[in-house]
Amino acid sequence: MNFDGLYMLEVLPTLLKYLPLTLLMAFVSMFFAIIMGLFLALITKNQVPVLHQLAKVYISFFRATPTLVQLFIIYYGLPQVIPSFSVLNALTAAIIGLSFKNSAYLAEIFRAALHSVDHGQLEACLAVGMTKSQAYRRIILPQATRNAIPATGNTFIGLIKETSLAFTLGVAELFAQGKMMASSSLKYLETYLAVAIVYWGITILYSLVQEWMENKLSKPYRN
Amino acid sequence: MIKVTNLHKTFNDLVVLQGIDIEVKRGEVVAIIGPSGSGKSTLLRCLNFLEIPDQGVIEIGEVTIDAKQYTQKEVHQLRQQTAMVFQNYNLFKNKTALQNITESLLITKKMKQGEANQTGEALLEQVGLSEKAGSYPITLSGGQQQRVAIARALAVSPHAILLDEPTSALDPELVAEVLQVIKAIAEKKTTMVIVTHEMAFARQVADKVIFMADGKIVEQGAPADIFDRPSNERTKRFLQQFSAPESVIS
Repeated sequence: MNFDGLYMLEVLPTLLKYLPLTLLMAFVSMFFAIIMGLFLALITKNQVPVLHQLAKVYISFFRATPTLVQLFIIYYGLPQVIPSFSVLNALTAAIIGLSFKNSAYLAEIFRAALHSVDHGQLEACLAVGMTKSQAYRRIILPQATRNAIPATGNTFIGLIKETSLAFTLGVAELFAQGKMMASSSLKYLETYLAVAIVYWGITILYSLVQEWMENKLSKPYRN
Repeated sequence: MIKVTNLHKTFNDLVVLQGIDIEVKRGEVVAIIGPSGSGKSTLLRCLNFLEIPDQGVIEIGEVTIDAKQYTQKEVHQLRQQTAMVFQNYNLFKNKTALQNITESLLITKKMKQGEANQTGEALLEQVGLSEKAGSYPITLSGGQQQRVAIARALAVSPHAILLDEPTSALDPELVAEVLQVIKAIAEKKTTMVIVTHEMAFARQVADKVIFMADGKIVEQGAPADIFDRPSNERTKRFLQQFSAPESVIS
């Protein structure tokens, strides 16, 4: 059998050097995606006039087009009409693209999570004299968060893997490095398996964190 | 104290309230009774604008609001004049019993944590649930949840407490403990408006009983007058259902 297990182990440390960049892309994109997604969800849930229609178009576009196409539009396409975009480096463009795309997915998840909180909770807040924004901050959002975590976690795992698309813009990240090593050593299977193992490892670690979070947040709801 | 003038409310094509006038004096307990769909709950929910009336003027404490012309700020002020106890308790599910009570003190009254906790603990004691301070709503029985909800309503020391069928969702054996708490509060001369199906209870605690049907007030007066000497045919028929349950069965 032509499989060099030792080589696979040897490339792992080199690949791991690119882990921080992958994690940076994932976390920063997720951060912005959550903020934008929450904003979009509040707009669609409360049917804010005009913004509501715009949000729907935005969500529809970013859910319906391939991430790769979105990244190319932002990095290669937009500078054509907005010259200031040409100063964007590939990493920033990737983060912007991934934030946009995932905010559209999160908007739908958050909207459903907000809907899952019983309307009586808001009424109870208003009835004791809270404003709507106080009600959202203290009562509705914390309850919606718990409902949103499993699906949000899925989106985040998807996002971690999508960061590998940044390689197509020329970002020297984990997958790009793997591709280069594979081409030079010609040990494709070993290298790509090592790359896969790194992604797998991140996802396993993240899943543990999510389990802990779910556990912590579900404390008030356990008998 | 509470004064409602010419209140109208329509849901789409359904007329729910057609010209309601009521007055509740300070310290008075008013029970609203009537068949399902008569508009009792809607009337109560209009008092804190959880339902927005189409027309009418509501005056509670220092706030007067006209349904034809109002601002969000006025609505907010109106809501701060009262507190509500709901049929389904609506306790904050992510907060403990104590936090349910202190939440509004911390957020709307800007009270310090220590002071809020003291107030909260005193109220829990008043409703007999001191030992449940750290429990989350899901671990409490319906009766216990409703008692916490009453304590939560008392916490904001409102001008009036609005109770929307506070025992209707409870198992029969849990009704008494909640009614007892409400009765104790009534004895302290707390202004209350209660929508209820508990006729014996209404008779016992209310200073005034209002009978509603089809979105109108049919009859109102002292409990003894309404229950023993109803003057309206509609009121008589309604009350008969409660007075002779055996005859219905046999």
